[in-house]
Amino acid sequence: MDTNFAKSRRRDLILAFCLAAIAALVPLFVKDVYVQNIMVLTLMWGALSQSWNILSGYCGQISLGHALYFGIGAYTTALLFTKFGVLPWFGMIGGGVISAIIAMALGYPCFRLRGHYFVIATIVIAEIGLLLFHNWDWAGAAMGIDIPVRGDSWLKFQFTRSKLPYFYFALALACVAWFVTWWLEDSKWGYWWRAVKDNPEAAESLGVVVFNSKMGAAAVSAFLVAVGGSFYAQFVSYIDPESVMGFQFSLLMALPAVLGGIGTLWGPMLGAVILIPLTELTRSFIGGSGRGVDLIVYGGLIIAISLARPQGLVGLFAPRRKEAAR
Amino acid sequence: MNITRRNVLLGATAAAALGPVAARAQTSEVVIGVIYPFSGASAQMGVDAQKSFETALDIINKNHDFDLPLAKGEGLPGLGGAKVRLVFADHQADPQKGRAETERLITQEKVCAVVGTYQSAVAVTVSQICERYQIPFISADNSSPSLHRRGLKFYFRAAPHDEMFSAAMFNFFDAMKKKGAKIDTLSLFHEDTIFGTDSANTQLKLAADRGYKIATDIKYRSNSPSLSAEVQQLKTANADVLMPSSYTTDGILLVKTMAELGYKPNAIVAQDAGFSEKALYDAVGDKLEGVISRGSFSLDLAAKRPMVGKINAMFKEKSGKDFNDLTSRQFMGLLVMAEAINRAKSTDGEKIREALVATDIPGEQTIMPWKRVKFDELGQNNDADPVLLQYIGGKFVTIFPPQAAIAEAVWPMK
Repeated sequence: MDTNFAKSRRRDLILAFCLAAIAALVPLFVKDVYVQNIMVLTLMWGALSQSWNILSGYCGQISLGHALYFGIGAYTTALLFTKFGVLPWFGMIGGGVISAIIAMALGYPCFRLRGHYFVIATIVIAEIGLLLFHNWDWAGAAMGIDIPVRGDSWLKFQFTRSKLPYFYFALALACVAWFVTWWLEDSKWGYWWRAVKDNPEAAESLGVVVFNSKMGAAAVSAFLVAVGGSFYAQFVSYIDPESVMGFQFSLLMALPAVLGGIGTLWGPMLGAVILIPLTELTRSFIGGSGRGVDLIVYGGLIIAISLARPQGLVGLFAPRRKEAAR
Repeated sequence: MNITRRNVLLGATAAAALGPVAARAQTSEVVIGVIYPFSGASAQMGVDAQKSFETALDIINKNHDFDLPLAKGEGLPGLGGAKVRLVFADHQADPQKGRAETERLITQEKVCAVVGTYQSAVAVTVSQICERYQIPFISADNSSPSLHRRGLKFYFRAAPHDEMFSAAMFNFFDAMKKKGAKIDTLSLFHEDTIFGTDSANTQLKLAADRGYKIATDIKYRSNSPSLSAEVQQLKTANADVLMPSSYTTDGILLVKTMAELGYKPNAIVAQDAGFSEKALYDAVGDKLEGVISRGSFSLDLAAKRPMVGKINAMFKEKSGKDFNDLTSRQFMGLLVMAEAINRAKSTDGEKIREALVATDIPGEQTIMPWKRVKFDELGQNNDADPVLLQYIGGKFVTIFPPQAAIAEAVWPMK
């Protein structure tokens, strides 16, 4: 029994597989580290935005405090490695679990808030986290943590010059985040979340446990974002509170999803593929003047795109039949 | 050239032998990367830095009659008169962007050396990348002491770090006490990023060593909207000296709030940053008669070394400002790097590093009050003596150390 929906889901999966395979081959042709660096960042932000989209897009709980989970992931890995010699692979899982627990602990009081009150709460909590790390001497306080790089090692996940291992990890992370979203989309949770997003009261009356479904979305979302944070710490090999927990990170996670199409499967990745290279290239090629031209161009393009496609760029790729049916 | 795939760096010696050498052997042009914040909150710092580097470039590439390295003659004689070209990159005060831009400078722009960065946090990642690619890095104006202690081989700093600056303040206190001034208690007031934290830690340690009592130690969130509670605490503590470590906007707010709450300290001895910025004195200079700030530069030097005045005039023509503590260090940073490249007679990173290690420029051949430029094994120049400057009648005069001073300190400040 093949419904149209099942067909389109299978098409999504095949498309994703093909895209991932093509992406995996790109570094064979693109050897320039600078371009590779942009690809790593694009995939990482795509994955982060995809994770953010689970809570804020599908479940409709707009969070502007995801930098907290990103930072916790980065700090857990860096601290475990520099203080106790724990390999970053374990740090990644540890950071993810801690973040998921914290997300649920914070969700307990915060999910009682609605709409913009919830958004404000997420901003404030992330800011508290930033301040705590700023003043926590054991965690390096304002000085941050410098992760010593001693040669290439898969075990320690650090590479002096090569970007390829980072690229493949970021690609894997993006695939995992995409697949989790794809899988959840058609699960009981996915339907619950969309119901909660549309109308919590109606959902509740139909037997959806609203509170639990929000908690579930928060935990999955925070876990994946924290893994991204761990990756970032290894990638940059230096972290300080401002550079992993600043408010701009929360915004940067939301932007690709909003631009590409919030609450859609392909939106966050599409947004990241457009936004991140745009940021990097404008800065590198017109940013040296000191006049902020790059930021004006960047901001202008975002405004132009959002004016042209307010529902998200992903709509451009919607099957023609739907358009005709309207 | 397929560097990325090569899993080099198995040992330090093996690493030293390799590196992206071949492509840069013979050049008629020497490319140096300059990485600063050109957008965002500290963009002005980058813009001023750019003017300072362009002034230094002018001196290197054109013929000038100054007693400075590379001033006479055009370009770098060691490389057959090759001209220096600068490539500017913007790091937006973000360590990740600093890292990526440095990598771009090295791999795409093929720079043979890097100078930067204003923010210490960015200097951490920029110097890491330079180390990995074996490209020398001069930290022109970063003053965090932790930077050179990481044991990087390609890291160099010609200017003083914060411990040297703070030590100069305490030397000054000791000297004033000998003359009979009452200095027993100190109030520390510092912001919470690397700069303020490092500065306060050093001051706490020095105070303990030299027997000064800390009346209060206040750490505040940088860019705070209000400092009333903090200033109230300072007022209550009423120490003999107030020692702020603040950037410009916080500094202005501090001085304004002090005036509002009627707190007039006996003396203020500031850790540079905001307190050497023209913007701060434009805003609240009238309330700051007699404030003392540390610095690594003083225009008073022009009286003893006339070329300082002339070079300052060159800079002023480009920027509309006098050299300050930061721009003077940036100027020297590029000059020291170019001087080493000239002696290395090569644009190979390892050769330039060796030349930097052997650097020995007498203080008279700089625009700074330094004894000389000579790096220790960690890449720090320990002969870069800082100065203390006092703001009197709308300008700064050098009051310490005695060999650089042109006036006696006014104590207490008013």
